[in-house]
Amino acid sequence: MNTYNPIYALLLFFVISFLGYLLFRPRKGWFWLIKNNLKSNEKIVIEDVLKHLYHSENSGKEDNVNALTRALKFKDSIIVDVIKKMAINELIQFDGDILKLTNSGRDYALRIVRVHRLWEKYLAEKTGYDKKEWHEMAESKEHELSNEETNLLATQLGNPIYDPHGDPIPTNTGKMADVHGEFLSSLGVNTVGKIVHIEDEPDVIYKQILAENIHIGSQIRVVENNNQRVVFYAEGEEFKLAPIVAANITVAVLEKDEVVEENIVRLSNLKDGEIAHILGISKESRGDNRRRLLDLGFVRGTEICIDLMSPMKDPIAYLVKGTSIALRRDQASKILIKKD
Amino acid sequence: MSKNSIENIIALSSDLRWKIGDDFHDGLAEGIYADASEIANGSISIDNETPRFRLDSKIDKIVTSKTWGFPIMFLILGVILWLTIIGANYPSSMLANLLLDNIHPVLKSFATNIGMPWWLDGFLIDGVYLAVAWVIAVMLPPMAIFFPMFTLLEDFGYLPRVAFNLDYMFKKSGAHGKQALTMSMGFGCNAAGVVATRIIDSPRERLIAIITNNFSLCNGRWPTQILIATIFIGAVVPASFSAFASLSAVIGVAILGLFFMFFTSWALTKTVLKGEVSTFNLELPPYRPPRFWKTVYTSLIDRTIIVLWRAILFAAPAGAVIWLISNIYIGNESVATWTINSLDGFGFLLGMNGVILLAYIVAIPANEIVIPTILMLTVMASGIVGGAGAGVMFELDSVTATGDILRAGGWTLLTAINLMLFSLLHNPCSTTIYTIYKETKSAKWTTVASILPVIMGFVITFLVTQIWRLF
Repeated sequence: MNTYNPIYALLLFFVISFLGYLLFRPRKGWFWLIKNNLKSNEKIVIEDVLKHLYHSENSGKEDNVNALTRALKFKDSIIVDVIKKMAINELIQFDGDILKLTNSGRDYALRIVRVHRLWEKYLAEKTGYDKKEWHEMAESKEHELSNEETNLLATQLGNPIYDPHGDPIPTNTGKMADVHGEFLSSLGVNTVGKIVHIEDEPDVIYKQILAENIHIGSQIRVVENNNQRVVFYAEGEEFKLAPIVAANITVAVLEKDEVVEENIVRLSNLKDGEIAHILGISKESRGDNRRRLLDLGFVRGTEICIDLMSPMKDPIAYLVKGTSIALRRDQASKILIKKD
Repeated sequence: MSKNSIENIIALSSDLRWKIGDDFHDGLAEGIYADASEIANGSISIDNETPRFRLDSKIDKIVTSKTWGFPIMFLILGVILWLTIIGANYPSSMLANLLLDNIHPVLKSFATNIGMPWWLDGFLIDGVYLAVAWVIAVMLPPMAIFFPMFTLLEDFGYLPRVAFNLDYMFKKSGAHGKQALTMSMGFGCNAAGVVATRIIDSPRERLIAIITNNFSLCNGRWPTQILIATIFIGAVVPASFSAFASLSAVIGVAILGLFFMFFTSWALTKTVLKGEVSTFNLELPPYRPPRFWKTVYTSLIDRTIIVLWRAILFAAPAGAVIWLISNIYIGNESVATWTINSLDGFGFLLGMNGVILLAYIVAIPANEIVIPTILMLTVMASGIVGGAGAGVMFELDSVTATGDILRAGGWTLLTAINLMLFSLLHNPCSTTIYTIYKETKSAKWTTVASILPVIMGFVITFLVTQIWRLF
């Protein structure tokens, strides 16, 4: 029994753990890949084609078969096959070599969009998944929910009108709210507006916006806009973005006669000894977090000041209605105040 | 009402829903809160003469300061643990003397006098009674010291400040600052630690705290650590350093437990617990003089007695099982010997042996009986002279004699190190498992909390052993 070589035992162990890692690592593990491939059937390809055409048509672009095969991550042969079938079933029609949605194709696409955005709303409100993951999870969920399940989900969420990125959610009859606004990159200096939409595709740009800690619903004032960069103030902080990044943010311009709250600052900017009044909680604070804050008395008009700093300066305890309540920095950045 | 008019109403309501927009619910909620606070402000008069918490804020400035915050905290926790471990020795040995050395022989002779058959007397007195007595003797005193002290601190209002100080570190691993408190409670008893996670109101962080509580060395495991470290680690260094060396080894294992707690918390947030809802808030209540007797009373009743009762319920059958496996024979070998032999190969890979693994299987109900079981099984398996007979757990007063038995059973320094590691990293005791199930109401998380530490224990002891044998 005492005659084995520990090196072999170690090697065997590392080989097994490495294989385990390759098989089961999140998302790219072989096990998940195989599982997803088994699922990726015609229905998914059809729905992805419909959705792609829908988004292209909405932004005024035209697609042919080549553009589709480039945009979608399926084998070319499968896509061509599927397009033929869809044309026969009258989901799409050819206009020369341009692909167009028929009315029934458009309805179908709207249903997929509805599920996608509802699911993002669900993830934002009822789960703890990070913003970065919502889109990808909704991408796979949109092929799974049936019509009844979708309607049930919508009812449970209180029939929301917008998804967490600010995109309108189509109703079950296909009705959809409008998003009025202009791209941040096209706004003139000194324009005042409110961020109404943050595009979550492409991923690279979305992650940059998230890293900047820009919040949907916040009021901004543009201070510089040229082809180098866009600079704007929001909630007491200055943000600098490349124009290509700024183009993914939509802002509803506020007219001069609309009521504009000046000097909105995030609670995270409050300094020791300063006293402020709460203006509200940012739209970025959602679900249980938001309700807890409201329960604790973080409501409009409440007086607030710093009570205690922890040794690491995070969390910070705030004095609200005579009670000392500690909040973490990312929570404090989602509470808006006006310093006295 | 005609169908038509119902449809009209539904159409009208969905039409109105579009007009009022998405902000409506928030606006309504904020409006209600704002109105409520206005009414409250109008009808409550605050005595401005006593500026709030003058003493409080002085204490707070000190206990949360950069310089003093952490030292004060470690000092307090250190003193409590020291008092618990040292202070519990005396009542523990008194209880052991009473229950094991005096009552046990009396019961035995009584059984002989009334002519009880040997198997019934072995099963009941050597098995069930002995396990229960052991658990009471080892478990009751530390808990009766630890819990009241901890509860007094809680009542005084200091503990939320600890959570406040440490939250930054816990946040990095995706956990809640209050987990510092449930972990400290776990040093007393993991089952009580799991119950204490009720103070964490965020679902994800609460699950993390429950699953990782087992990485706090509990009262049942401190004596094992100290005994093994004294026998084997203390022996490696010159005699003048031996006390210091064994103490550092025990503290090292406890700190390693903290490291595993942070690591596991982090890994859980990144994987299986990603989707659970996570919130944070921490109220820092004003200090108040603790209500001493009330606190001592409730902590004894609510924590100590309940946990002890559960432990007894689980220990009794364990004692029976220990006695049975040593006295039921298959062919020429008892079940215990047979199991030890079949586990020996696997045990050797992990740098331990079949006796230790079997002891950890039958002693799932209580970590307190691990060492007595190991001693009994070692004597039985190696056939050396000593002990009190098959299936009768025992412990020796002399540390040297205990060491001699273990060495005769083939123990080396490596075995000792691995036992200390495995004592830290193995499944929670059945009392804790049951408590986890009661708190989470989920078979899935109970399984994760039970299996995960054993797997980690296997991996760590395996790696340590192979690397040890390389050199």
